[in-house]
Amino acid sequence: MASPATAIDLQSIGLTFASRTGVPVVALKDVSCRFEPGKVTALIGPSGCGKSTLLQIARGFLAPGAGRLRYLAADGSESPRPPEMATVWQSFNLFPWRTILDNVAFGLEMIGVPRAERTARAREALARVDLAGFEDKFPRQLSGGMRQRVGLARALVMKPDVLLLDEPFGALDAQTRLVLQEQLAKLVEESGTTALLVTHSIEEAILLGDTIFVMTARPGRIAAEIAVELPRPRSLATTHDPRYGELFDRIYGLLRDEVVRAMANDREAG
Amino acid sequence: MSEPAVAEKARAANRGLGFIAEPRTLAWLSVVALLVAWEGIVWAANLNPIYLPAPSGILRALIDLFRNGGLGTDLVITLWRIFAGFAIAVVLGVAIGIWMATSERMRAVADLYIAALYPLPKITLIPLLIIWLGTGGPFMLTISALGAIFPVIINTVLGIRQCDAGLVLAARDLRANQSQIILKVLLPSAIPSIFAGIRLGLGVSIILVVAAEMVVGKVGLGGRLFLAGQVLETEQVFAVLIVLAILGIVVTKIQDVIDVWLGHWRID
Repeated sequence: MASPATAIDLQSIGLTFASRTGVPVVALKDVSCRFEPGKVTALIGPSGCGKSTLLQIARGFLAPGAGRLRYLAADGSESPRPPEMATVWQSFNLFPWRTILDNVAFGLEMIGVPRAERTARAREALARVDLAGFEDKFPRQLSGGMRQRVGLARALVMKPDVLLLDEPFGALDAQTRLVLQEQLAKLVEESGTTALLVTHSIEEAILLGDTIFVMTARPGRIAAEIAVELPRPRSLATTHDPRYGELFDRIYGLLRDEVVRAMANDREAG
Repeated sequence: MSEPAVAEKARAANRGLGFIAEPRTLAWLSVVALLVAWEGIVWAANLNPIYLPAPSGILRALIDLFRNGGLGTDLVITLWRIFAGFAIAVVLGVAIGIWMATSERMRAVADLYIAALYPLPKITLIPLLIIWLGTGGPFMLTISALGAIFPVIINTVLGIRQCDAGLVLAARDLRANQSQIILKVLLPSAIPSIFAGIRLGLGVSIILVVAAEMVVGKVGLGGRLFLAGQVLETEQVFAVLIVLAILGIVVTKIQDVIDVWLGHWRID
């Protein structure tokens, strides 16, 4: 039996949208990157660079217009079956009519896990994100940070081979973000899952990532691949490391040019 | 007496009779006052009960109709017609609504028929339906279902199409298949809207069944109302109207309770 896939390899991915004005929009062009097993790979780029689109392609929800998507086993061989994947969304996407416990148990319910078992596993997952005691609440009764921890528990309870994080903290305030970034870094380190993080926060990319792909403004391309060799566990203290400062400046330099270019593009388009 | 003392006295009087100003009490007191005035005017003016019977006479007629006139049977028959037809409409309407909301082809086809049939006063279909179905049970169930089904379909489609696309994506991500997405995401998210359609639909069903019974003029509350009017039994006419009014109140209150129960997750 082939070993299960745990990594994703994208080769020369391209995607063109038909826009309303009839002029085709090149969202992604010749994007090649690999999301290594057991590592956290961050995708960072200006708004509209197609990083979330790339995530949807990796998830298999969106077919690329060009290029090749491969799923790889831990030994590097190609796997015919996609890995188990689960996504944490920027807008949380919790089901408002379900209790917190039933939200976390949703995926298990879909694949037919018996009620007693899925309840036990959902409770355990909630405890891991420090939300024990909130099982019977509804999403609306929780703060943004708590809701996203539910989102995280809902994804982790599926024991995914690949965890997809689509700007998971984008909707949260700066302080909540810091705490959750640390918590997420710890959870990902513990679980050893492959993680793919889409973000526009340089800090988040460095604190969580093993590798950072910096993307260009539309059309989205990979501008640089940067390895983050800071020791783990990382925390707020990591930001005082001189290597952190160097990385930050380097990424900021790359992004700044891209943002300026993106703004110029918008002006032309507008 | 000094002015502050007068004001103080008025406040004291207010406190004593303050319960009258309580909205609910006031509403019921207004009903009592109306009945008393009505009774008084009928007696004082010595009005012929054919034109305006006194409330006491209406009450006697009501009790008599229930005891000896079989009004209870009429009520049960009418309720059965309303709710059986209405239940058919809800099941069919939700199913058609789901189908329309999830299939562009189905929506294109059904939209046309709904646009043609929804604004049509369903009461105008009574002659045709009697020709086709006669005046018995099938006719009554059809007219009741026809009244309720359009608001149910339209609100089901609306509710499902308003569902946050992110929730569907999240469900797919969590391995839900197409039927699970419909049953576990689209339908629950559309429940408030579907229930709004059910509310509208039930109102129309009640109207249509009573109207159809009046046209047929046999059994049921509408039939009873029509027959009583024909023989100038005005007290009985009022008695049936009271039963219909109470039916309306009960249905509305039950819907309010269901509404609160369905929306429990929306409470902060």
